[in-house]
Amino acid sequence: MAERGETSSAVGNDAAQVPFTSAQKISKRPKYSRFTQQELPACKPILTPGWVITAFILVGVVFIPIGLASLLASKRVVEIVDRYDEDCIPQSFKNKTLGYMQDDKTNKTCTRSLVVPKLMKSPIYVYYQLSNFYQNHRRYVKSRSDQQLRSKDGEWKTTNCEPESLVGDKGPIVPCGLIAWSLFNDTYKFSVNDTRLDVNKNNIAWDSDRKHKFGSDVYPKNFQSGGLIGGAKLNSSIPLSEQEDLIVWMRTAALPTFRKLYGKIEHDLEANKTITVTIQNNYNTYDFEGKKHLVLSTASWIGGKNDFLGVAYLAVGGICLFSAIAFILVYVLVPRPLGDPSYLSWNRNPAGRWK
Amino acid sequence: MNGWERVKSSKSRFGRHSHISSDDRPSRTVRLGHVQPQAPTHRTIYCNDRDANLTVKFKGNSISTTKYNFFTFIPKGLFEQFRRVANLYFLMISILSATPFSPVSPVTNMVPLSLVLLVSLCKEAYEDWKRFQNDMAINNTLVDVLQDQRWEPIPWKKLQVGDIVKVKQDGFFPADLLFLASTNADGVCYTETANLDGETNLKIRKALERTWDYVTPEKAWEFKGEVQCEQPNNSLYTFTGNLIHQKQTLPLTPNQILLRGCSLRNTAYIVAAVIFTGHETKVMMNAMNVPSKRSTLERKLDKLILTLLATLFVMCFIGAIGSATFINRKYYYLSLGKGVEAQFNPDNRLVVFAATMLTLVTLFSTIIPISLYVSIEMIKIFQSTQYINKDLHMYHAETNTPALARTSNLNEELGQVEYIFSDKTGTLTRNMMEFFKCSIGGEVYGTGISEIEMGGAQRTGKRVEMYKSANAVHEKGFNFDDARLMRGAWRNEPNPDMCKEFFRCLAICHTVLPEGDDSPEKITYQAASPDEAALVIAAKNFGFFFYRRTPTMIYVRESHVEKMGKIDDVAYEILNVLEFNSTRKRQSVVCRYPNGRLVLYCKGADSVIYERLAPGQDDLKRITRENLEQYGSAGLRTLCLAYRDLSPEIYEGWNEKFIQAKSSLRDREKKLDEVAELIEKELILIGCTAIEDKLQEGVPDCIETLSKAGIKIWVLTGDKMETAINIAYACKLIHNDMKQFIISSETDVIREVEERGDPVELARVMKEEVRKELSKSLEEAQSCFHTVSGPKLALVIDGKCLMYALDPNLRTMLLNLSLNCTSVVCCRVSPLQKAQVTSLVKKGARKITLSIGDGANDVSMIQAAHVGVGISGQEGMQAVMASDFAIAQFRFLSDLLLVHGRWSYLRICKVVTYFFYKNLTFTLTQFWFTFQAGFSGQRFYDDWFQSLYNVMFTSLPVIIFGLFEKDVSASLSKKYPQLYKEGIRNSYFKWRVVAAWAFSAFYQSLIFYHFVTASSSTGLNSSGKMFGLWDVSTMAFTCVVVTVNLRLLLMCNSITRWHHIGISGSILAWFVFVCIYSLIRENLSYVIYVIMSTVYFYLTFLLVPIVALLGDFLWQGIQRWFFPYDYQIIQEIHRHEPDDYTGAMGLEIRNQLTTDQERSFAISLLPRETSKYTGFAFDSPGYESFFASQHGVYAPQKAWDVIRRASMRTKPKTSTKK
Repeated sequence: MAERGETSSAVGNDAAQVPFTSAQKISKRPKYSRFTQQELPACKPILTPGWVITAFILVGVVFIPIGLASLLASKRVVEIVDRYDEDCIPQSFKNKTLGYMQDDKTNKTCTRSLVVPKLMKSPIYVYYQLSNFYQNHRRYVKSRSDQQLRSKDGEWKTTNCEPESLVGDKGPIVPCGLIAWSLFNDTYKFSVNDTRLDVNKNNIAWDSDRKHKFGSDVYPKNFQSGGLIGGAKLNSSIPLSEQEDLIVWMRTAALPTFRKLYGKIEHDLEANKTITVTIQNNYNTYDFEGKKHLVLSTASWIGGKNDFLGVAYLAVGGICLFSAIAFILVYVLVPRPLGDPSYLSWNRNPAGRWK
Repeated sequence: MNGWERVKSSKSRFGRHSHISSDDRPSRTVRLGHVQPQAPTHRTIYCNDRDANLTVKFKGNSISTTKYNFFTFIPKGLFEQFRRVANLYFLMISILSATPFSPVSPVTNMVPLSLVLLVSLCKEAYEDWKRFQNDMAINNTLVDVLQDQRWEPIPWKKLQVGDIVKVKQDGFFPADLLFLASTNADGVCYTETANLDGETNLKIRKALERTWDYVTPEKAWEFKGEVQCEQPNNSLYTFTGNLIHQKQTLPLTPNQILLRGCSLRNTAYIVAAVIFTGHETKVMMNAMNVPSKRSTLERKLDKLILTLLATLFVMCFIGAIGSATFINRKYYYLSLGKGVEAQFNPDNRLVVFAATMLTLVTLFSTIIPISLYVSIEMIKIFQSTQYINKDLHMYHAETNTPALARTSNLNEELGQVEYIFSDKTGTLTRNMMEFFKCSIGGEVYGTGISEIEMGGAQRTGKRVEMYKSANAVHEKGFNFDDARLMRGAWRNEPNPDMCKEFFRCLAICHTVLPEGDDSPEKITYQAASPDEAALVIAAKNFGFFFYRRTPTMIYVRESHVEKMGKIDDVAYEILNVLEFNSTRKRQSVVCRYPNGRLVLYCKGADSVIYERLAPGQDDLKRITRENLEQYGSAGLRTLCLAYRDLSPEIYEGWNEKFIQAKSSLRDREKKLDEVAELIEKELILIGCTAIEDKLQEGVPDCIETLSKAGIKIWVLTGDKMETAINIAYACKLIHNDMKQFIISSETDVIREVEERGDPVELARVMKEEVRKELSKSLEEAQSCFHTVSGPKLALVIDGKCLMYALDPNLRTMLLNLSLNCTSVVCCRVSPLQKAQVTSLVKKGARKITLSIGDGANDVSMIQAAHVGVGISGQEGMQAVMASDFAIAQFRFLSDLLLVHGRWSYLRICKVVTYFFYKNLTFTLTQFWFTFQAGFSGQRFYDDWFQSLYNVMFTSLPVIIFGLFEKDVSASLSKKYPQLYKEGIRNSYFKWRVVAAWAFSAFYQSLIFYHFVTASSSTGLNSSGKMFGLWDVSTMAFTCVVVTVNLRLLLMCNSITRWHHIGISGSILAWFVFVCIYSLIRENLSYVIYVIMSTVYFYLTFLLVPIVALLGDFLWQGIQRWFFPYDYQIIQEIHRHEPDDYTGAMGLEIRNQLTTDQERSFAISLLPRETSKYTGFAFDSPGYESFFASQHGVYAPQKAWDVIRRASMRTKPKTSTKK
């Protein structure tokens, strides 16, 4: 159907008025334009070996220094990673973790000793790292209400938050939804040689979140008041915009293994010093075989300890240089003159027949 | 061409009628629709009496060819859009995405769908608006209507049935009219029906004698007739009705009907009554759908889409299984307790599986590129309207004809054509006849050497001198050089009486009408075919100048007859005209000399004339036969001339029978033929004429170029075998190095059986012979083919043998043989056989075919082939109307195929594969994420990112690419025609190519996903803060958009500034969009600012696209170095040459004509001149072009013939070729 339309328009364009004029005298010669004659000025790059080699060398030359720099930066970062979920369960509760976690009366305090391998310059970032925790599950991701978080007016906008949206007759849960409900609630206390190390929990969330996403007039309400407690409770006198743990938690992670910033230790730590960490092991990851790590890390310009970028840059740079060399060798060993007509298919097949 | 054509091709509300039967019979007239059974009732019209007609509600005269109106546009337009599968698919996805299963908001799929629909609807609306404007222009044209004894101009749309109208010269008839009176004597008027059937010849209409007087408004006011006629129908050539006038019932015939769409010529004005108006006019009822062809590539594209759907299904299946296994109560934070929705309920994993299927289908729906069809459509429309239609290389200045793409569907098909089926006359040759040689009484006259002879001489290595005597006369239609006949010199020849008869026969026996001044220099002849004109012009040059015609007389100014220098005006009385038809293959005229001598002059095909010759004259017959053969082999078109002296008694006796036959009501045609036989016998042979039909300009070169391009050219012609072979030689289709297989019915064995006259036996023998020949040839061909450097092969087969060879039993053999041949010549074939041969190759060999022709006899062939090309700018439009592309000259085929076709193919292929790649890449990143999101179907990208990916961030560059991509320049495409083979082999759209792109997409998507996630797993920035899901996905999306756009740049062979604009524009558009969007979107708030504040962003942004493109870049480097494509070598050869630049000047210079070209220009203009003819018309208008058909040119049936023969439709409709 549509085709017919095209056809008729193609036919009838200039003819629309013809019954009333004489078409015979008008020249139908198309007007010249570079566009219609397909002669627009164009650059016609030919991927000659010269270009290929140049490009490879260029990439190699640029990438290797970047790779080295990133790798060095990454290497300079000192990182202590300690998995504590298994060790923090008393032997007697090994097989009934659920009961242990749910029981208010059990002592969940756990002490770990960490040795500083190298001098750690302040600030030292404290992260918790969870594995097998699907913060990116569809049911989980959508279970929040951004309007509610942002302003007081959105309190009742809890449609996405099911089943953590309302508490019986008390009205909406603020912040509602599974994400907030399952807020991480392990706590860490650090001390070196019995001197307490303060953990600065300010400014651990992105500024934009604090300023724009979490309202300063929104206070927690009915939170964790239902039957099942998912995780941490919130101080209902502090507005959400200052509940930085929540803000960090609610920036859902992309992958099932993720780190979240817990706080900052603003003291340098000498090498070989032993840090004593007192952990309140409240958060239940045992049900779903999730691991919990405590991470202490310094940061360089590139961020935390991550060799990936450096290695990738170096590898790609290396591959490029290698390819460049290979191409040069090929160029020397098997030269192909540019534009040699004997390479044309019809010159290679003398019979000139195609089946 | 004008608005009427639009009317015809556009949808009419009666369009559905043409679906009633759709058999593919080749018709011999232009087929505008099928004749429907007429309604049993009749209508009564009271002329000149509006009140009386009011009771019957006749339709108004306003027409509407629009598809939609203001109210139906949205529903109907949308309905049309959703008839496309792709749109329907996306509609379903959109609906699905509004359900709770969907991980994405409906916007994701709605936005692209509505944008695509918007573009399509805008296009529809624009086209419909133009149709509407055209309708309005037509509806508001003024016409004079009789009101109160005055002519009042009123718009067409206000015209009513029964009105009396006046149409002036060159005016169009506003409705179907009953012709009442004309300013011409005899109540005659001339109409041009070019809008109806493409014929430029004038048709004659004659009013009933009773109504001749109603010319003036005062007189016409008195006219109160009552017309009883059939109900409106779509049969153009029939009309039955009666005019009841002054209590007399007068039968009406089509001869009194003036059809809407035709125009008045050579008549000051006419007066007529309106019978059918508006949509009830015959032309409107004939409006029919143009059958649309789909390109092979598009069908392949469907397969690709199906493959994608299958991939989609597999991906969803994997995801759904994953989801069903993953879902578990242990993930307490997902709260999968009692009240959980079914789609997450771990207790019912089957439901989880099914629901996830749906979820993932919506999520991965981007794998089908929604904008693909719309983009391709846009590119194709640009290609056809801007490139093909406006190509100066395909503009023919002489006929003022540019190329015309009548459909934009088949552009890329032009790049894959492997077989060309070409008509000969008018396509390879000019169809401009020049009297070239003749043989009178066995003496050969004319010293010229035909182009074909020259070609023949060249192939035998002989050198031929073009010799021309100083006083040779050369005018259009006459290229004869022999002093022995000129200026009366014939009187000294051995048989001057024979010469005299010869010239008189030429001057008298024809249907030509003289026009203009009656001086030999100024006169022009209005002839149905150029052959006829050529013969009369020849007579003029020999001193027998035909200058005037009246209904009964032909006036010839004869010089040098009695004595040198004496000029006589002689009037010959024309007693009878025995007209031409395809069975008679001859035409005769009985005339009476002023001195009372009665002569029958006859001219016709040698076969029919020879049968009717008087006994004796054996020597003459033998010599003339030799001459005929000689002429035939020189590629000339021959005719035999004969005469018979009649005694008054014989004549009178015969004339009675003739009159009887002529007035018979039933089977008149047949009876006339029978009567003609009675007098056309015992003829005396005079001699024969030879007319040259020159090759079109540039044909041999074009054919050579095309065959270098791997295209096989078949010539299908109605000519004799010898002529056909000679033409083939002249066109460089066949040359001496080729091994020729000739399968002819002219063998002794067959002739013997033929003489016995048993048709059954003949058929058996013929079939056996053809089978033997075929198998023998095939064997030889195969043995030739297996040797490496064997000769190329050519096959020549004639129509009769072809008929048997097309038999299902022999068909495969014929196919095998002909596919091995580089060129094939089929001679003496009928239009039906042309179509059969075309579909044999199309369906049997599954090769892409193209048919090119200029006449109505090529219509079936043009419609049968994948691509139909019509030769435009000449008489007759039937071929053009049936074609997909129209060009003015055969040689433009090289531009059309090698330049436009090749580029279109290349562009569309690359656009399609690129679309495939970019959507697969995008969707696969999403797929990888699904694995790490618990198979929950969580979207990786934001809704709007996903929805705008196809329509905003990646669509413009690929369209620009589709418009401007050029691997080598136009001139190089033609210089190296072998490049075209890539299209024939379909190198750019093989599964291998698609697989390579798929691999690339796979690789890149892995890079995008894993590089971005892996590098963001630890604290970013010196502030140690972490990224969330949306930060990572925005990063990944940025990399995808940038890479995909750069990948396009990597595949460009020529980069214009539009490419830069498109690609940088798209990337920029993304950044601008995301910067604004992340300010307003809640869950994404400030994402881009967050990530751009980190070093990580810049490091990743540099790394990922380069790594992703590295693989492709490396492969391109290696491929070019070790396995270069032909076009790449050619790019390298010509790398230092500047671009093509024809410029406006370049072509002007080329178009400067030599004197010879100017002459041909003048000739080419000949048939297009508007006739000023106002003179004589035969009493029974209706002569089919005798000569045209005689020579294998199909003579399209004239309306008047059809009118008369409408009652005889059962006659076989083919075999117009002799």
